[in-house]
Amino acid sequence: MGELAVDKHVHYILSVEKRKDSFESVVMDHLRMNGAYWGLTTLDLLGKLDIVNADEVISWIMKCQHESGGFAGNIGHDPHILYTLSAVQVLAVSNKLDVLDTDKVAAYITGLQNEDGSFSGDMWGEVDTSCKNLDGGFGCTPGGESHAGQIFCCVGALAITGSLHHVDKDLLGWWLCERQVKSGGLNGRPEKLPDVCYSWWVLSSLIMIDRVHWIDKEKLVKFILDCQDVKNGGISDRPDDAVDVFHTYFGVAGLSLLEYPGLKAIDPAYALPVDVINRIFFSR
Amino acid sequence: MNENSWDENRAMDLLNQFEAILESDPLIDEVGFIHPSQFVTLSNECGESGDSSEDGAFGPKNTKFWNRDHKLGISTEVLLPLCKAAKSAFMDALKQYKNLCSFSDNNHEDENIMFGSLSCLSFESEVMKHGRAVLLLSCDFGTAWNSRKLVVSKKQQLSMLMDELLLSALVLSYSPKSEQAWSHRRWVIKMIAGKHSNLQDIMAKESELVEKIAERSKMNYRAWNHRCWLVSYMTREQMLHELKKSRDWAGLHVADNSCFHYRRRLILGISENSCCKQEGENSSYDVENYQIVKEELDLNEVLIKRYIGREALWLHRRFLSLCMIRHLTTMHDISCHPEQKTSMDNEINIFLDNESCLLNYCSTIQDTEFEDFKAQAMYSAVYFLWLITQIPQFREIDLQVKLRTENLKTILHEACPERSFLWGFPDLNGSF
Repeated sequence: MGELAVDKHVHYILSVEKRKDSFESVVMDHLRMNGAYWGLTTLDLLGKLDIVNADEVISWIMKCQHESGGFAGNIGHDPHILYTLSAVQVLAVSNKLDVLDTDKVAAYITGLQNEDGSFSGDMWGEVDTSCKNLDGGFGCTPGGESHAGQIFCCVGALAITGSLHHVDKDLLGWWLCERQVKSGGLNGRPEKLPDVCYSWWVLSSLIMIDRVHWIDKEKLVKFILDCQDVKNGGISDRPDDAVDVFHTYFGVAGLSLLEYPGLKAIDPAYALPVDVINRIFFSR
Repeated sequence: MNENSWDENRAMDLLNQFEAILESDPLIDEVGFIHPSQFVTLSNECGESGDSSEDGAFGPKNTKFWNRDHKLGISTEVLLPLCKAAKSAFMDALKQYKNLCSFSDNNHEDENIMFGSLSCLSFESEVMKHGRAVLLLSCDFGTAWNSRKLVVSKKQQLSMLMDELLLSALVLSYSPKSEQAWSHRRWVIKMIAGKHSNLQDIMAKESELVEKIAERSKMNYRAWNHRCWLVSYMTREQMLHELKKSRDWAGLHVADNSCFHYRRRLILGISENSCCKQEGENSSYDVENYQIVKEELDLNEVLIKRYIGREALWLHRRFLSLCMIRHLTTMHDISCHPEQKTSMDNEINIFLDNESCLLNYCSTIQDTEFEDFKAQAMYSAVYFLWLITQIPQFREIDLQVKLRTENLKTILHEACPERSFLWGFPDLNGSF
């Protein structure tokens, strides 16, 4: 089995931050806030967060805050609940949550809740509801196909609100463990190719419903390690594809859940390092 | 040419050229990014001469944009400066527009002089013009889609809403997974549904659009998700029609789980739309619902035997079996006559027998040259196991099942030893 090329990945993440002048980065700059979350959390898991200038990051984040209290993906862009989440997560990881006017942010989020309990992403109302399907999984909209990413969001939300008893764990666990393919990797739904990001979504869901023993963990570790670019750093969706920060984060996070040595522990529901979560809860 | 040498003026020129093309050809239905060297090939293929003016081609020697037959090609060389210029122009216009909007919102009617509202109009058209340019290059830029919603919702004109459908369709033609584009379409449709009566027509066209895109972009979650969303606007007749119409397509795309999920959504919708009707109609709906599930099961069996080892087909069968059993159980429970009850019991037995036969048929691993026979055996065994654990009636049917399950254990061990933990399933062990 290979090894995790920690230094290479750190180097890769820092280089992405600097590389702002390519078509690919311009086209993605509306989700820079997400990128900050993926990059910084990965660095923290690798124990290298101190490399980053926290003040610079914080000051940029605050410039992305909209008058409504929500955060945008980048300066001058429209706010959205997803970028707000990433902003809060980055501040949590950097231990700078105190810069927030928490009431204001909370007001933005609660303002997005609809009468039926679901949340709209932003003022334009696209709702990301989650509905239980007959196969035990969850889809994006009522009647939507079960999808591992959506399953993670639902199971995570239920976990955080202490409501996991609503989940048929055997049925869901069954569908989830069927996501493991021969190579050891996990896919997101039937007939699809494995992808490193599902190492997170499927894996953390299985952990939350206590069925992770239904997959072959060793094979999954090997799959993730095979997705590394050991020369230039970074992790890709599957072996030999191009790397990106998104998959680098999910690969490292997945390895952390699988208890790969040398990594900080990560919380499967909050998707943040366990010590960050503890810090928040114990400081209350 | 070095990307860094594109100064602002030249980049603005590019943007103006690009926007001029878009303006002059509103019927563009395809956009692509091409390498500069391919421009020459394209021109040659069209038999272009040195003459520039005729047949709409944008200049013979233009190596940045190519526009002919309502197709638009953009040189990869100019993508970066063009995108930056478009974004910058868009953000400027948006800022001005929003400022003016809040100014006019905050002031009294009579202070809203011509000057103010003309300014607003001109920035509004800038926002739309630059926004369109940006979105064709960077289709997930949410802020740009939002700005269009802002402008269109103020105007409340059907023609503008239809234009939004055109733009998003164009984007989807080369970015079929763009969630922002799909989401924008849903917003537009909701706006149209609220006011205008040609909703049925629009629904039908949406469904066709998805099918067209699904053909080129297999297992496109977002496209099929969009089609599932449409179901909530359909009448029962429309759902039946959709199910029938998409049957052949499904048979030709047996690995497309999303397609089968759509069929499940329709079947669920049809059965849900059978309640709350008058007494007399109930029984005929029940019969129809039963027939739909039966037909789908038959089709599924044909496909399973024809296309060996396809996960999507077996997963579809799980759902269908569950439906069938629920239906038979309901019929059993509501029937008053003992003969009818026995008949229903028989039906359930017959059903189980059939599934058993299917299992036997599929569990023989004829050869291991390819993975398909082994996969088929595994899927059939896991399916049967799932059936037993999920459907309470089966566990009550004693001896027969015991015999079958021993056989099942053997199949599982041979076909997929890594799934042997499934045998430890609590329900199973409890029964035996």
